[in-house]
Amino acid sequence: MNLHYVMKELYYQRRRTIVSVLGLSIGVALFLILNALSLAYREAARAPLTEIGADITVQRAGNVPEELAGAVFPCSALTIRREEVNKIEKIPGIRGVGQAVLIWVFDPQRAWIVLGVERDNPIGPAILRSFVTEGRFLDDGKSEALIERGYARQFGIKLGDNVSVAGRQFPVVGLVDASRAPKIAVANLYLPLKEAQDIAASSKPLQSVSPFAPGDVNLLFLKVDQQQITAAAAAMKSILGEKATIATPESFLKLLGSLFALSDKFTMAASLIAMLIAILIAFKTMAGNISERTREIGVLKAVGWTHRNVTMQLLTESIIQCFAAGILGILIAVIVTFGLSFMTVNIPIPWEMSPTPHFLPGGGEQLYKTLRLPVHIPLKLAVFALLLSVLIGGLTGALLSSHISKIKPSEVLRHE
Amino acid sequence: MNNADILVGTNLFKRFDNLEVVKNVSLRIKKGEFVSLVGKSGCGKTTLLSLLSGLEQPTGGKVVLNDKEITSASEEELALFRRAHIGFIFQSFNLIPTLSAWENVALPLFPIKMASDQRHKRAVELLEQMEMGHRIEHLPAALSGGEKQRVAIARALANHPEIVFADEPTGNLDSATGAAIMIILNELHKKQGMTMLMVTHAEELAETADRVIRMKDGEVIA
Repeated sequence: MNLHYVMKELYYQRRRTIVSVLGLSIGVALFLILNALSLAYREAARAPLTEIGADITVQRAGNVPEELAGAVFPCSALTIRREEVNKIEKIPGIRGVGQAVLIWVFDPQRAWIVLGVERDNPIGPAILRSFVTEGRFLDDGKSEALIERGYARQFGIKLGDNVSVAGRQFPVVGLVDASRAPKIAVANLYLPLKEAQDIAASSKPLQSVSPFAPGDVNLLFLKVDQQQITAAAAAMKSILGEKATIATPESFLKLLGSLFALSDKFTMAASLIAMLIAILIAFKTMAGNISERTREIGVLKAVGWTHRNVTMQLLTESIIQCFAAGILGILIAVIVTFGLSFMTVNIPIPWEMSPTPHFLPGGGEQLYKTLRLPVHIPLKLAVFALLLSVLIGGLTGALLSSHISKIKPSEVLRHE
Repeated sequence: MNNADILVGTNLFKRFDNLEVVKNVSLRIKKGEFVSLVGKSGCGKTTLLSLLSGLEQPTGGKVVLNDKEITSASEEELALFRRAHIGFIFQSFNLIPTLSAWENVALPLFPIKMASDQRHKRAVELLEQMEMGHRIEHLPAALSGGEKQRVAIARALANHPEIVFADEPTGNLDSATGAAIMIILNELHKKQGMTMLMVTHAEELAETADRVIRMKDGEVIA
């Protein structure tokens, strides 16, 4: 193999080289872009759960009391009993459990959406500590409250005020910016978990439809091994029954509705078709190149080049072209994905996961988690695409070499 | 085989489908001899040259070149044999269009393990010998027909061959340029003792050789 000859051939036949390199590079770029988009949607679909420190959220749907008065559970979040939580904690793949109690409280003066949070658990709504804009987060063992900033402004509630919720008094120690906070389990008032459990346990209307003991909860946030999310979700369903609502990255992916999000099989098929078309273009160009060079190959053989010498020469040409196509394809894909990364994606948060009474201000609005599409080309994927290009070059060269072997040196004289 | 014979073809036949192109041809060429093979177009002389040089396998008969029977050799062995012992000059020059004059000359040397400066030196020497020292970097497209054939002759000599096969070396040239090429070939034979077998249809060119073999309808007639 003579590299100097290879480079000269590629340079002087640059139109053919450009067609071949461009054809394959577009295929490589499409392969990378489609896969990067699919990965981006998958990553985006995890965002609503990730921002609350979980991989799965668990609720159980049911009935509400006929009369909405005092403390009640929303229809999408009824009691999950302590024993059920214990069973869930033992499911393989569960790495941590966060608990919360979400209650609607209808007091004579106003209605509250109350969320009881575990103060020191990084899994679940305690992540709110990062969004306290005034005052401080809840202290350990104290009976106090945080108020959502917009709600406090609407009702003129200030830091240090005492608020009355279901007949209990709580000093307001902090204001929370809900616009920046996680969109799951959004509330107006945040209490220590135990206080919320006590409110729920002492509410007759609530007990009438969903018996609740002080250790029970109605929202679970779970950290789960990524490979075991589906299996763990199925196990939870069997523990909590058919009315369990289990939100996973997969369920958010379905809500996104994108073709890329709906089916990784679609992405794989589309990217493979793109690659296949590119391979055919490259193969056709290179095969055309070989048939145009029958005479040249005959000359090489006549002057003493062996079949192996000729094959290595053409194989090197083919591999260099495909390597260049791989690099160019990666560059195109990086540029395109950079452009796509400015796209925003709105992930709808189902009402059940952040229930608000419809008759309250904002109650009918659809909540969205809006974020920029986290699209990028993973290094491993880029390396894979490059190796794939080189492999295509090698295979194309190898396939064409069988054609080369049929070219006899006497062809040169026969064409005289 | 006589010690002085470099090439012996015995009872050679070549058939393409139902057409017998070479019929029972036997010939001997001595080392240092310049032989021309003459005959009308289509009489089988180029096919005979292909058989004698190992570019084509005969349907029957055998060829011994430089004490090696090449008719039973594989494609790979033949390629290596051609590289080591044979030079070719073609009617259409058959230069590689993307390579410069010196690179075309060095073409038979590319598969050989050899320092690239040595390869370049050998190619330039041969081109200077062909009075082409001023055109070493030119591509074939920038050369005249006569210059192309000089480059092709230099290429045929690059591997120090023991025999050169020339197929109508002046066929694509005007008479003046053709005559100049014939002078070069004759000088190669006379000054360097190069063995040559030249195919031509031109009687006057054939007569410049030491010996003339005449062909008609696939057979040697004289």
